[in-house]
Amino acid sequence: MSQFLAMGGYAAYVWPAYAVFFLVLLADFISPMLRRRRNLRELRARLARQTARQQRTASPAVNP
Amino acid sequence: MPVLYALIVATLFPFALGPEDALLQRIAGGVVLVTVLLAMLLALDAMFRSDIEDGSLEQLVLAPQPLALMLGMKILAHWFTTALPLIVIAPLLAGMLHLPVQVMGVLMLALLLATPMLSLLGAVLVALTAGTRRSGMLLALMLLPLCVPVVIFAAGAVAAAQQGLPWVAPIAWLGAALVLALVLAPLACAAALRIALDA
Amino acid sequence: MSKWIPLWLHKLGSPPIFYRFAGTLRPWFLALALIAGAIGLYGGLVLAPADYQQGDAYRIIFIHVPSAWMGLFIYGVMAVASFIALVWRIKLAEAVAMESAPIGAAFTFITLVTGSLWGKPMWGTWWTWDARLTSELVLLFLYLGVIGLYHAFEDRRQGARAAAFLAIIGIINVPIVHFSVNWWNTLHQGSTVRILGPSKISMDMLWPLLTMMVATKLYYVASLFGRVRADLLELEGGKDWVRRIATGEQATGEQA
Repeated sequence: MSQFLAMGGYAAYVWPAYAVFFLVLLADFISPMLRRRRNLRELRARLARQTARQQRTASPAVNP
Repeated sequence: MPVLYALIVATLFPFALGPEDALLQRIAGGVVLVTVLLAMLLALDAMFRSDIEDGSLEQLVLAPQPLALMLGMKILAHWFTTALPLIVIAPLLAGMLHLPVQVMGVLMLALLLATPMLSLLGAVLVALTAGTRRSGMLLALMLLPLCVPVVIFAAGAVAAAQQGLPWVAPIAWLGAALVLALVLAPLACAAALRIALDA
Repeated sequence: MSKWIPLWLHKLGSPPIFYRFAGTLRPWFLALALIAGAIGLYGGLVLAPADYQQGDAYRIIFIHVPSAWMGLFIYGVMAVASFIALVWRIKLAEAVAMESAPIGAAFTFITLVTGSLWGKPMWGTWWTWDARLTSELVLLFLYLGVIGLYHAFEDRRQGARAAAFLAIIGIINVPIVHFSVNWWNTLHQGSTVRILGPSKISMDMLWPLLTMMVATKLYYVASLFGRVRADLLELEGGKDWVRRIATGEQATGEQA
């Protein structure tokens, strides 16, 4: 196992390369998921505001 | 303004690298080319800016004449006002950096072919950014990949001439590319402008 | 047959249907990519013998070369999608083109970093101005230019069209850059994998490499689907189907 990790003396080059590969792709994969969540949350907030406004205008009829 | 900028940049190089003749002589061709390129980039952003602000660009788009032709004329005018002065002072800059006199002709030829290329390519990109806010950095980022071949062949011709090698091939490539760009770039510029102005 | 395929494609072009389609397929592509990646890396890191010249350092090839291929491949996909977006003004094609760009930039970035990590022990330097390295760097700048132009516009769709145009200019430029840089300087080892004719690489090293290539392709599809889904939600923010998703997800307690 330790021989495998040593990579014939090239561990300092091989493993960082693989780390970069996985980290960059992980970031690439997660960012749209976060973006999607944020957008949906904003959309929900907007919808909530909209319905609140509609209810307010519907019941007492103060504002046009 | 671009001329002054080029003069300043070319003056800074000897300060940064030391005043030895041999070193300056070796890098002179490349420095002059890159300096001219940067000076043109500086002026590129302004190519359509005032026309967009006062609305005359929309008039151009709506005019009955072919848009590509008129944009071609605008690019030509831009080349005359920014690139031509740079070409005129290029021998001075090259002389300051001790470029050998016999190479000067090749440098001028390379500049004469490379600067219209840069104007044409730059015009397409400027047209694309016409609908955006100020975009100097973005323009540089977009122009870099497009101008790499131009710089390579122009500098290659100068370097070859300096080493006494045949320099016709890279100049011929530049000329071929210029002819191609001369035909295609105004058309691309018109298409880009239509996209960017959403017309 | 000749009638329902265009019809199906036409339907798939509509955002809500593509959203659902991509949502069902994405986990499968991701799973297949992970399986293929695991097999490829096991084959490359454990089973394949060390190179007689380069020792174990060559094992970077199993991510370097597939990433380099992906960098070019994704640019091709982006250019084709850009062309479709410009000619037929299909919203989905715009989304595919613009969401491909960050993935392609990521792969190109990986190629450059792993390449320099490989170059250090082999050539003794992190960076040389060699033809292929330089072309790769130019490719990264092309991607960044497309991404930058896309985000410079206030209006997303207008930005997408402008950036699509830039992508098409770029694809004309890629071979010119490659040719000119080759003319300028070269030091990189030549291609070792060929589709036609015998390749110069042993079978033990070739199959993990090709498996990794398949894995990165599958990953690209999975990542692209995820990105396009997020993009469609953003573009179609006011539409009914997006609202249903937003309210529906709240009911199920914010999964995904």
